[in-house]
Amino acid sequence: MKRRLVGRLADAALILYFLFALFPIAWMVLLSLKPADQLFSTYFSFTPTLDSYRTVLGDSEGIPFVRFFVNSLVVSVGAVALSLVVGLPAAYASARWRFRGSENLMFTLLSFRFAPELTVIIPLFVLYQKLGLFDTYVGMVWVLQLVTLPLVVWIMRSYFTDLTPELEQAALLDGYSRKQAFFRVALPLVKPGIAAVSLLAFIFAWNNFVFPLILTSSSAQTVTVGALSFLGGDRPKYNLTAAAALVSVVPPLLLALTIQRYLVRGLSFGAVKS
Amino acid sequence: MTALELRELRKTYRSRGRPAVEAVRGLDLGLRSGELLGLLGPSGCGKSTTLRMIAGLESVTGGDILVGGASVTGRPAQERNIGVAFENYALYPPLTVAENLAFGLRARRRSLRGDVRRKVAEIAERVGLTDVLDARPAGLSSGQKQRVSLARALIREPDVLLLDEPLSHLDAAQRDTTRRELKRIQRDLGHTTILVTHDQEEALSLADRIAVMRDGVIQQLGTPYEIYDSPATSFVADFVGEPAINLLPGTATADGHVRLSAGVRIALPVPVAEGRAVVVGIRPEDLSLTGDGGIPARVVAHEPLLESGIATLALDGVERHLVVLTGPEVRLAHDERVRVAAGLTHVFDAETGDTLR
Repeated sequence: MKRRLVGRLADAALILYFLFALFPIAWMVLLSLKPADQLFSTYFSFTPTLDSYRTVLGDSEGIPFVRFFVNSLVVSVGAVALSLVVGLPAAYASARWRFRGSENLMFTLLSFRFAPELTVIIPLFVLYQKLGLFDTYVGMVWVLQLVTLPLVVWIMRSYFTDLTPELEQAALLDGYSRKQAFFRVALPLVKPGIAAVSLLAFIFAWNNFVFPLILTSSSAQTVTVGALSFLGGDRPKYNLTAAAALVSVVPPLLLALTIQRYLVRGLSFGAVKS
Repeated sequence: MTALELRELRKTYRSRGRPAVEAVRGLDLGLRSGELLGLLGPSGCGKSTTLRMIAGLESVTGGDILVGGASVTGRPAQERNIGVAFENYALYPPLTVAENLAFGLRARRRSLRGDVRRKVAEIAERVGLTDVLDARPAGLSSGQKQRVSLARALIREPDVLLLDEPLSHLDAAQRDTTRRELKRIQRDLGHTTILVTHDQEEALSLADRIAVMRDGVIQQLGTPYEIYDSPATSFVADFVGEPAINLLPGTATADGHVRLSAGVRIALPVPVAEGRAVVVGIRPEDLSLTGDGGIPARVVAHEPLLESGIATLALDGVERHLVVLTGPEVRLAHDERVRVAAGLTHVFDAETGDTLR
């Protein structure tokens, strides 16, 4: 009897928290469904319409939102892919070998995440202008490494550390090369880790605001900055901003849902004696 | 023919700001073809480092490793053709047992597909894994994992087989059966084998010869009987034998005895200069309780073991207790007399621990 009461109370508390957490999103949804002339009405009755979505995805109002969306996809996927190519071997090396300066190197990588992006953005802006990287995909993928690479290296390092080195050593004794031992033994065993870190890195890259704000103008601009363009002009169009923001949540959300089963699966279950 | 030879093998770990650690210092060892040698020692004695150097997983600081007469020092592990059964088995979890066994054969790409299948079936038959070929490692018992690990090392027909603590993660019942299996398989296939272990029972029961290691040096190399009957040092005597040998410090007397205390004297097997500080070693099985004669002692503890028992005795004025293998029935707190079997006493230098002969 008492336990049921506690259960009920816990449920109620969870529902309260749920409402609290989801309220801003619900507010956005409502906002995006409002017709432009009822935007500032303070009561909750309005005629719902999908006009805002049509406007945003139809590229009217002179703002190429679909383009921004594609840009975001390209630079985020590009940043994650580059980070994996560079970061996986780096993580593996730092997990398996102590070499001179290896710890300093790892700390330097981590320190990229300490400083606010604003501290480096001005020099980067000047550099990008001079080098012709301003407002390009290459430039964006490159600068987003500051966000995604430390994530990949640090998280994957702990996955590789958890992997017993005897697995690769057994492969070496069988005649496989170091490279083959990495690709055929170590890498397949950290797949769940790669899935998890890719998702995380993708979300961080996708959500980044400061770099595209300063380092792009139109052709490589991303949704985070692009969604705000609807606030410019003579009258801020909150309904369009809300619709744009909601559309931009879709890719990370879909990814998170598809990758979920990798996130919870054990790392190398049964590799060594338990 | 010498299948494996270690010459003056050394390993020193150096790291900045810390004193260098000499893990292995000048190991000389030769294995006849087909021989099973037990490398026995406590943890940290350098036995695993030695194994890893032979396998090519650890660099060599000095000395030479020869396989079949040819030096392999400096060659990478891939080129040595040495099979290792790791202590933690190191099986690839996503692969089935059959795939795990085939994985090693595929590396050199010289085996045909049908060939691989035949070899896998053959080795599985040998070590008794035919029923679990399609299972994944996670679903196997430790004994089965151990056999997969062994089969994987054997399937490539290595020149030398290295077993790293093969029985340490098995429970008592599995240990006995696996040990017998291991001995049978090694005899059948005739691989030159080094068994690294800290368990004297494992080494005594499996090995043709045993090398007892301590602090990176081989203290004694010999057959199990030689190691047991005439230990070279008090360390070897102490490490081999269960229950452990009694080591009692004392002083040599003029009439060929050692004085343990004012009232307790034991005859020495060899003449020792008077007044020299020595340690007497007597195995619990070489002592017996008698009604008369011998040394008076008092029983302070007794552990009955069905067909026998272990009694702990206090000798008059002697600090260390004496452990004696007895019959199943001994009365506690009872005064007994203990007799030393003639000629089975060992005597060591108190300082160096070396046997005095």
